[in-house]
Amino acid sequence: MVPNQAHAATSNTSALHPPGKQPPSYTRSATAPNLGPHSHASNRTLLAPEDAIYQGSPPQRQAPAVKKAQNELRMTAGLGVPRGRSKTRHRSSSRKRKVTWSKLLWVKQSYPDNYTDQTTFLEHLQRNPRLQPYDFWPLVADSTVIVQHVCSVVIFIVCFIGIVQDRISSVAVVGWGSFATFLGWVLWDMWIGQDDIVPKPLPHQATPSPPYYSTVSAASSTSNLGLGLHTSSTHPLPGRHSHSHSASASSLHSAASQTNSQQSPRLAPNFPGVTTSTLSPRTSLRLATAKSALLIYFTLLGLSPILKSLTRSTSPDSIWAMSFLLFTINIFFFDYKTPEPSSGNKNIPASLSTNAALMASTVLASRLPSTGQVFSLTLFSIEVFGLFPVFRRYAKRRTWRGHVTLTTLLVLGASGGVGLCLGHGGDGEGILDFPWKAGLTGVFVGVVSTGVAMGGCSWWLIGLQKYKNEIHGPWDPARPIIRRHWDDY
Amino acid sequence: MAHPRSFSKTSMAANHNHNYRHRRGSTRTMPYSIAMVSDFFFPAPGGVESHIYQLSTKLIDRGHKVIVITHAYDGRTGVRYLTNGLKVYHVPFFVIYRASTFPTVFSFFPIFRNIILREEIEIVHGHASLSSFCHEAILHARTMGKRTVFTDHSLFGFADAGSILTNKLLKFTLSDVDHVICVSHTCKENTVLRASLDPLMVSVIPNAVVAENFRPLHHPSYGTEFGNHPLPQLIGPHDTITIVVISRLFYNKGTDLLVAAIPRILASHPNVRFIIAGSGPKAIDLEQMLERNVLQDRVEMLGPVRHEEVRDVMVRGHIYLHPSLTEAFGTVIVEAASCGLYVVCTQVGGIPEVLPAHMTVFAKPEEDDLVAATGRAIAALRANKVRTEKFHDQVKMMYSWTDVAKRTERVYDGISGSLSEADFYGYEAADAASWSATRGRAGVHSFALIDRLKRYYGCGIWAGKLFCLCVVIDYLIFMFLEFWAPRDAIDIARNWPKKPRENLMAGDDSSYK
Repeated sequence: MVPNQAHAATSNTSALHPPGKQPPSYTRSATAPNLGPHSHASNRTLLAPEDAIYQGSPPQRQAPAVKKAQNELRMTAGLGVPRGRSKTRHRSSSRKRKVTWSKLLWVKQSYPDNYTDQTTFLEHLQRNPRLQPYDFWPLVADSTVIVQHVCSVVIFIVCFIGIVQDRISSVAVVGWGSFATFLGWVLWDMWIGQDDIVPKPLPHQATPSPPYYSTVSAASSTSNLGLGLHTSSTHPLPGRHSHSHSASASSLHSAASQTNSQQSPRLAPNFPGVTTSTLSPRTSLRLATAKSALLIYFTLLGLSPILKSLTRSTSPDSIWAMSFLLFTINIFFFDYKTPEPSSGNKNIPASLSTNAALMASTVLASRLPSTGQVFSLTLFSIEVFGLFPVFRRYAKRRTWRGHVTLTTLLVLGASGGVGLCLGHGGDGEGILDFPWKAGLTGVFVGVVSTGVAMGGCSWWLIGLQKYKNEIHGPWDPARPIIRRHWDDY
Repeated sequence: MAHPRSFSKTSMAANHNHNYRHRRGSTRTMPYSIAMVSDFFFPAPGGVESHIYQLSTKLIDRGHKVIVITHAYDGRTGVRYLTNGLKVYHVPFFVIYRASTFPTVFSFFPIFRNIILREEIEIVHGHASLSSFCHEAILHARTMGKRTVFTDHSLFGFADAGSILTNKLLKFTLSDVDHVICVSHTCKENTVLRASLDPLMVSVIPNAVVAENFRPLHHPSYGTEFGNHPLPQLIGPHDTITIVVISRLFYNKGTDLLVAAIPRILASHPNVRFIIAGSGPKAIDLEQMLERNVLQDRVEMLGPVRHEEVRDVMVRGHIYLHPSLTEAFGTVIVEAASCGLYVVCTQVGGIPEVLPAHMTVFAKPEEDDLVAATGRAIAALRANKVRTEKFHDQVKMMYSWTDVAKRTERVYDGISGSLSEADFYGYEAADAASWSATRGRAGVHSFALIDRLKRYYGCGIWAGKLFCLCVVIDYLIFMFLEFWAPRDAIDIARNWPKKPRENLMAGDDSSYK
């Protein structure tokens, strides 16, 4: 039945191939999956399908020279077979393979339909083509962004608890918050001024110019709470700006109307007549910022009585659950990435995150008893969730040292606040009692656990890298490269 | 890559092929009873549907018995007979999405068993990896001890969640299939990876076209109303060149590329017109582009066309533009070439394998390259360098359903053991000992339950156990059905009277219709 019984003892398949030019076809021993350890045949140099699932397989791409050398080796191995055997092999070979197999369908080929050419089969397969191995310390450094955001959420919740429990006055919270926001704005304004003075030639160093656009879009912001969102809506703008290939910061001196012309036309009606004013652009922008800040201040003041009774008919349990859920959404959907200068992103996840946080804080604020407290907490939430992320992002790009300092301060503040909320101290119990005991314990525990979490998660992520097995090939849908984006209109 | 002399090479290869097949043909002993199972069949339009129909018709012409099992469509229930005695069972089933039935693993079994026994089926041939009908049928057929073949018509990635789920399901079904047929070599690579198959178990048999249905406007062998000598269609430097696009307007068909490329092509070539047929969610983008650039007089949008009308649209043009982003085979470009159109297409998926280089201009899936390739095609046509009038006869030689049926028949021979395993799998005798453990005599899968369970168990840590459970339950249901509805109580259906033998030998593409 089987013609080749004479070779049953030979197990080295490469030695069996006739010394022809044709690449050997797959043999059963080399390809049959799940049949024991020898299915990963040692003399097999190319990729077989089980490699896609087998973890420890070697990389499949080889230099052509290596392949050639191996082909030559194979040929010499074939020649090494005793002549008589190779003759019988020729005679018993049932197929005449005079024409080289080619990967075409329109040619009628003298090969069977299930012929598998070993040199071309899966040659276009790519595994993990965009794999970038992570390093430990850069990963830890990058995780500071997440730590910052989680800490600011924690600080907000701590402030709410403090207000509810009458430990701190709401006016103090919003006062210090506004003071910090003002400080941040001044710092920002100073940085913008420095950027204007020192023009940077490289596009990827060009810093954004948020105030130029922020106030403008704030005035007509379609977002629910203008000031909280108007600065975050500036993120796409640096991208657009450098997209026009004139991204040197010196061009920021130009009047807003010039940048206006670079924008898509949809934004054009939103621009007020900045150019008609006699003031310098920066001064007018500062004025506009102050105007919109005042506008939002008074809007909130007017709205807070309504907000106060917003959820009166809802039970507190639902509120806690809902705000927890919303803050979780905020943390998970927050846009942690540093915006690339060239990316014209639309920030949908970021706006989802910001909206979730503002809704959570509104819901929480509606639990507070007095109008003043409601107003304070809502304003504070706008500062924390709307403005602070923008500042953090900008600060990270400006000064790394400042970023680390800010992270440290946030971690200290958040852990101390949690400690104060949970623990008690200064109530005269025990020998080791002193007024700030709970806070200091919180700081200690918080700092240690943050450090462990940052290091541990980074290490874990690096450890998970070896499970990455991304397969790409000609069967994937191609990504069309289109120069003009029609959907921008 | 093909070159100008490639046609002599083709004929040589065809001769080899012929000898080869002839030798094989003598080994076939008896006609087979085949059940084609798929969710997709007429009256729904589409490539898989017509593939099943054409293949079944040609297999019947070759003396086999073929039935089709699909689910009930609106207004089509029960048993139907199509041309040539092709019997279609429309099984009542719940359809969830785009003609796919709800995947219930076992509920199809009783009626499936009944049909298989009634029609004395030996081979169950499933089509399309998105058809749950086909997967269930393959599982049940193996439980009942029938040979199974699966034909894959599409490409899937490995990244998104939907693909991962489909791939797992495919792995389940194909763990215990006898043979797999793919429509292109790229499709074979994809299927081998998705289902962890042995490449020798996978044959590549392309789709085909009915060349008579896609003939050019003037062709000597068909005759025209203007006489038998058509004028050679020389295109002058200022004659209008019409570019035809026929595709569903979806993202993965590359409509975005089309939207970006059309204004640039029209801007740089004044005497060019477009005809676009097809509908879909991206049609609105196309219309917006036309309005924005005021191109209504140069681009004609026909909307959806029926498959029978495709030829009439194609022969109005000179160039067929196919900007698809993924394609397993691309039957439509073969149809276009058969109509005598010069084809401009993106080099994705299985498309580079389908047509020789003198019929096509390949482009990368980029706007710039597509515009440049179309420009090259227009220039070549204007210089009259392309002999489009010869395309029809060439395509007719390349792809025919008769050939597809012959090659499919060889697969049936192989799995049912009438072709020796050495011939079919081309394996080295030395390796026989290493793999015959899970295969029985003659290179076919053993039906013993324990061997089947071994094959399913390797699918994954959790999936393997789950699949084994499914198989065991399937087997128990089978046992119960044997007890509840005994075989001898099921009537045997009468066969459609067969054609006389000489008619069968003449059965070629031309006998269709």
